[in-house]
Amino acid sequence: MTLAHYLAVGSGLFLIGVFGALTRRNIIGILMSVELMFNAANINLAAFDRFLHPGGVAGQSLALFVIAVAAAEVVVGLALLLAIYRNADTVYAEDFNLLKG
Amino acid sequence: MLEHAYLIPLIPFAASLIMFFGAKEDPHSPAPWIGVGAMLISLGLSVSVLLAFLGGAATYERNWHWFSFATTMGGKHFVHDMPIGVLIDGGAALVSVVVCFVSSLVQIYSIAYMHDDKRYKRYFCFVSFFTAAMLGLVLSSNLLVTFACWELMGLTSYLLIGFWFEREGPCEAQKKAFMTTKLGDSGLYLALLFLYSLAGSFQISQLGQFFSMGYAPAAVAAVIALGILVGAAGKSAQFPLFIWLPDAMQGPTPGSALIHAATMVAAGIYVVARLYFVFLAAPDVMALAAWVGCITAFMAAAMALVSYDIKGVLAFSTISQLGFMMCALGAGGYTAALFHLTTHAFFKALLFLGAGCVIHAVHTNDMREMGGLWTKLPVTFWTMLAACCAIAGLPLFSGSYSKDMILAYVWEFSKPMFWVMLGTALMTAFYMFRLIFLTFTGKDRDHEKFHHAHEAPGLMTVPLVLLVIPTIVSGLALNGVIFKLAPKPVLHFQTAAAHEVPADAHAAPAPAPAEAHAEAPAAQHHGDEHHQEGHLPPFLHYLLWVLVPASIAFSFFLYRGPKYPVADALKSALAPAFTLLERRWYMDDLFNVLVRVSDRVAALCFWVDANVVDRVFVDGWGLVMRVFAHLSDLFDALFVDRTVDGFGGLTNDVGVGLRSFVKDGQVQEYLMYAAIAFSLAATLILTR
Amino acid sequence: MLSLIIWAPLVGALIVLCLPKEKVTAIQAVSFIAAGVSLVASLVMLRAFDADSAAMQFVERLPWIPSLNVNYSLGADGLSYPLVLLTTFMCVIALVGSLGIEKRVKEYFFWFLVLETGMLGVFVALDFILFYVFWELTLVPMYFLIGVWGGPKREFAAIKFFLYTLTGSVFMFLGLLAMYFKGGNTFDILQLMQLGPTWEPRFQILVFLALYLGLAVKIPAAPFHTWLPLAHVEAPTPISVILAAVLLKMGVYGLLRFCYQILPGGFQWFLPYLVLIAVINIVYGALCAMAQTDMKKMVAYSSVNHMGYCLLGIAGMSAAGFTGAVFQMVTHGIITGALFLLVGVVYDRAHTRDISAFGGLALKTPVYAGLMFLTCFASLGLPGLAGFVGEFMCFLGAFPMWKWHAAVSVLGIIATAAFFLRMMQKVFLGTFNEKWAGIEDMTVRELVSVVPLAVLTVWFGVYPTWPLSLMNKTIAAMLGK
Repeated sequence: MTLAHYLAVGSGLFLIGVFGALTRRNIIGILMSVELMFNAANINLAAFDRFLHPGGVAGQSLALFVIAVAAAEVVVGLALLLAIYRNADTVYAEDFNLLKG
Repeated sequence: MLEHAYLIPLIPFAASLIMFFGAKEDPHSPAPWIGVGAMLISLGLSVSVLLAFLGGAATYERNWHWFSFATTMGGKHFVHDMPIGVLIDGGAALVSVVVCFVSSLVQIYSIAYMHDDKRYKRYFCFVSFFTAAMLGLVLSSNLLVTFACWELMGLTSYLLIGFWFEREGPCEAQKKAFMTTKLGDSGLYLALLFLYSLAGSFQISQLGQFFSMGYAPAAVAAVIALGILVGAAGKSAQFPLFIWLPDAMQGPTPGSALIHAATMVAAGIYVVARLYFVFLAAPDVMALAAWVGCITAFMAAAMALVSYDIKGVLAFSTISQLGFMMCALGAGGYTAALFHLTTHAFFKALLFLGAGCVIHAVHTNDMREMGGLWTKLPVTFWTMLAACCAIAGLPLFSGSYSKDMILAYVWEFSKPMFWVMLGTALMTAFYMFRLIFLTFTGKDRDHEKFHHAHEAPGLMTVPLVLLVIPTIVSGLALNGVIFKLAPKPVLHFQTAAAHEVPADAHAAPAPAPAEAHAEAPAAQHHGDEHHQEGHLPPFLHYLLWVLVPASIAFSFFLYRGPKYPVADALKSALAPAFTLLERRWYMDDLFNVLVRVSDRVAALCFWVDANVVDRVFVDGWGLVMRVFAHLSDLFDALFVDRTVDGFGGLTNDVGVGLRSFVKDGQVQEYLMYAAIAFSLAATLILTR
Repeated sequence: MLSLIIWAPLVGALIVLCLPKEKVTAIQAVSFIAAGVSLVASLVMLRAFDADSAAMQFVERLPWIPSLNVNYSLGADGLSYPLVLLTTFMCVIALVGSLGIEKRVKEYFFWFLVLETGMLGVFVALDFILFYVFWELTLVPMYFLIGVWGGPKREFAAIKFFLYTLTGSVFMFLGLLAMYFKGGNTFDILQLMQLGPTWEPRFQILVFLALYLGLAVKIPAAPFHTWLPLAHVEAPTPISVILAAVLLKMGVYGLLRFCYQILPGGFQWFLPYLVLIAVINIVYGALCAMAQTDMKKMVAYSSVNHMGYCLLGIAGMSAAGFTGAVFQMVTHGIITGALFLLVGVVYDRAHTRDISAFGGLALKTPVYAGLMFLTCFASLGLPGLAGFVGEFMCFLGAFPMWKWHAAVSVLGIIATAAFFLRMMQKVFLGTFNEKWAGIEDMTVRELVSVVPLAVLTVWFGVYPTWPLSLMNKTIAAMLGK
């Protein structure tokens, strides 16, 4: 198990996340895809820490931060989503074009 | 009792506070008796103080700490203690007795006179407060306190003149009185500043010592004396500031009797006397004071000749008598002035209170609507007759002693002035008896008013009767002792005059050697002194005895009634002179012009302020800035902004062009482009 | 302790900001508590204040911006402490007067409390940057307080006030920077007091002029006084009170504290002009007041006149004059504050301040008339009331040096008497104007705000020992240097 393995898993996960975020119509799906991207980043952090600075804890603690922030972000995201759903009666991303210039 | 002398002003002050805050406004309230009681206690105290001085007590001074303030003197900076206290000499003791006596009688009189007024209580507060201020002025050892009391008296005078403020007349009169005296006060104010910057103290005793040592340069002393004179001219209604006093009669009559006849207007004279050492150091100003007094006495007496307002005549006569006092002070007759102040207070208060009874009875001030009242108002008539005899200077009445003494000093001072003053004295006798004849004798001219007239109640007549006593006897009683009681203060450095003890010699610390040996011969000096000083040459003395009754007889001849053909003929013959006198020498008009001019100046100032300083200077600056701002704006819009807009437009165009690739408003599409762009950028960076 | 005094109002302001705007009573209560804490704290300080010492007391010193050598340093001495007392006291009085405000209550009290913090800070700051921050901090609340709650021309007045004073303070800032670089990179006022007198006269004069421009606008010294009548007329009553009672004092305070103590050379050079400005303020201010028909404007011009006495006392360069100036500041705050409150009383009822619109009001409103008479007489300098003491000492201090100027200034006293008497006659005396038959005497709230001031007026006039004892030593030491 080298660093490359970890990075491969991480980038795979990240690409899945990007794909999901770009293609899912359902906003909940998009949110979940974003979570995947977060976790990919977490894996990278942990891996770099383990292999480049063995004995250090900076990467892990950063990962913990990210998890906490991600949780908060999900909460906010879901709250927004609920508000949107109440107003627009839909959860499909393509129906939201209020920002259209 | 000297050590309790400080209570003399404090008791009436406390009484006025108690009445003001403690009593309700009620026309029948017993509150005024508080004021009367307080006055009687003060009277008792001051009489005991006077007795002490008659028994030969030395000048008494006692001070307490008042406040401290940082000050600079001769380049040094230190904290200066300002004392407050009493300084009593014979003159102060005498005047305080006069004030207490007149004030208590006036208050008793007022209880009846004001009985149905809706501001009954307030009146008594004012009178008590006034008396406290006057007594403070008389007794204070600190010139600053004296000045404060001086101004507070001005305030009470203002309040009492405008006591019936529902009418416009009193309001104008009160404002005029306050402003005119304020004009004079500014002189006193500057004199005070000068004194302090010179001597570094407001203590009268220290100032006296300072001057008597000759530390004050003559020119400075002259300026200070001039300032004091201006202040006294305002308060004591001297030329040219006498205009306020005739108008001041719009207030309640007993108040006028106390304030504008007997006591407050004499305060100017008193302060000049109290600071006599300044005048002694400035002989020129003394001469000026004498002439001011002389002119005032003459002008006012002339105005009194033609007035038909009973209070007006009395007001003019007050001004005239004050002129006598001022003239005496200027001529060196310190003692004579204090003497005349005392006797004048008694008989003038009596005259005013009597006039109050007359007005009370007939409800008019105009003497042409009176006449024959002596049957209806016998007590008033006889008491006023006594007072008239006194003011006219009939022998044995109090006025004759003091007036003779003044004339004696004037005779020594200047012969021309003496003849003017003599003429004025005769005019006094004439117009006072004219008042008596017009009011009390002859036939009644207004039946309606005559019919309703009745003698005043006992509370009003008793004070009249009580005032008759000093009106008659005070001259005789004081004639022998006044020189002992109020010796003229003397400057030590004027060796020629150094034969009397200065009033403050005992109070002053560290007496100079000159004082020490001056004290010894002083005692026997007093014994024979007053035989030479203050007495007319015998031929003049007897001339007066003839001329005064002659003048009264002339008055009787003109005004005995019931018709006045001779007086009317005189009037039409001398019409211009009469007009001049009725317009009060046009002094009122002069001051009206002054007021109008100062209003114009004020309006001009404001115009300048609003239109030049504010509009041109400030708003104009703002306008210039705005023009500049517009120019910058134009420049900005033409050049700077165009360039910015150009860039912005370019970017915008590019953006619009690019957007045509995208389906409108799809977030995920934007995201996709962002991801592509990011990965491209990342690739570029990483593979470099 | 000083920090508590300064910051309590600001804390109160933040609490007010968090309260919902409907809860008017709570907002008012919080404001009173905040201002009350300041007042009580400043009174408690009285026990610890050593009147026999001329040194700075209650000094607090913390580094603030170390790289620029800026410190958070506070202190009070006999010059500033009376003004702190005046400020905390007048703020409570003005708050009582503010209870009648109905429009946007929350914002009003917020700005009011911020203003109080700014004013207090100006008097106790011992660091120039801190001082300048507080100095500017007073501007913004004042701008809003005049601009939102003012009279018909309020926006114009507010903008004029703001721009005018800001222009002045910019010059002052330049002066501060000049001193900073000259004095070896320090903003510490006490240090500069040691250094300043040693600078060459030319520099002192330049810096003096820069500082003076800033201060003169605030004082207001002629010819920079024209914002004052406008701002006073447009401001709501309690703000006029604060403006007259405290804000004007900042200028004179600065003149005594900075111009005199740091730049004695420049001060000395400016004296002949300063005394001239003082005379102009006194005479010209009084004459302008004489021409007014609006009561509030008249009182505003009388402020110009009264600040002239302060300047005159300062120009005398003597301890009596300085004492007089400080005392005059305190008494002018009390008396003019009361005057504005009283004018506000009649304006609330009649909605006009035109002097000739009234007549004989003393019949219907005896208490009001009595208080008005008291304050007017105090303002025109009747002995026995507070106004006289300060005024007289100013003259006493100036007279040895400037005899003619003082003599001319006496004209101002006469003119002051003239316009106050005329106002009293036209409004309160004479025949009753039936138009105001329904007018009512003062309410309890108005009495609560005015009576303490009247009591102080009499107290300080009859027995000024206590306020004078606070400042005597400091002033003697200031001059004795």
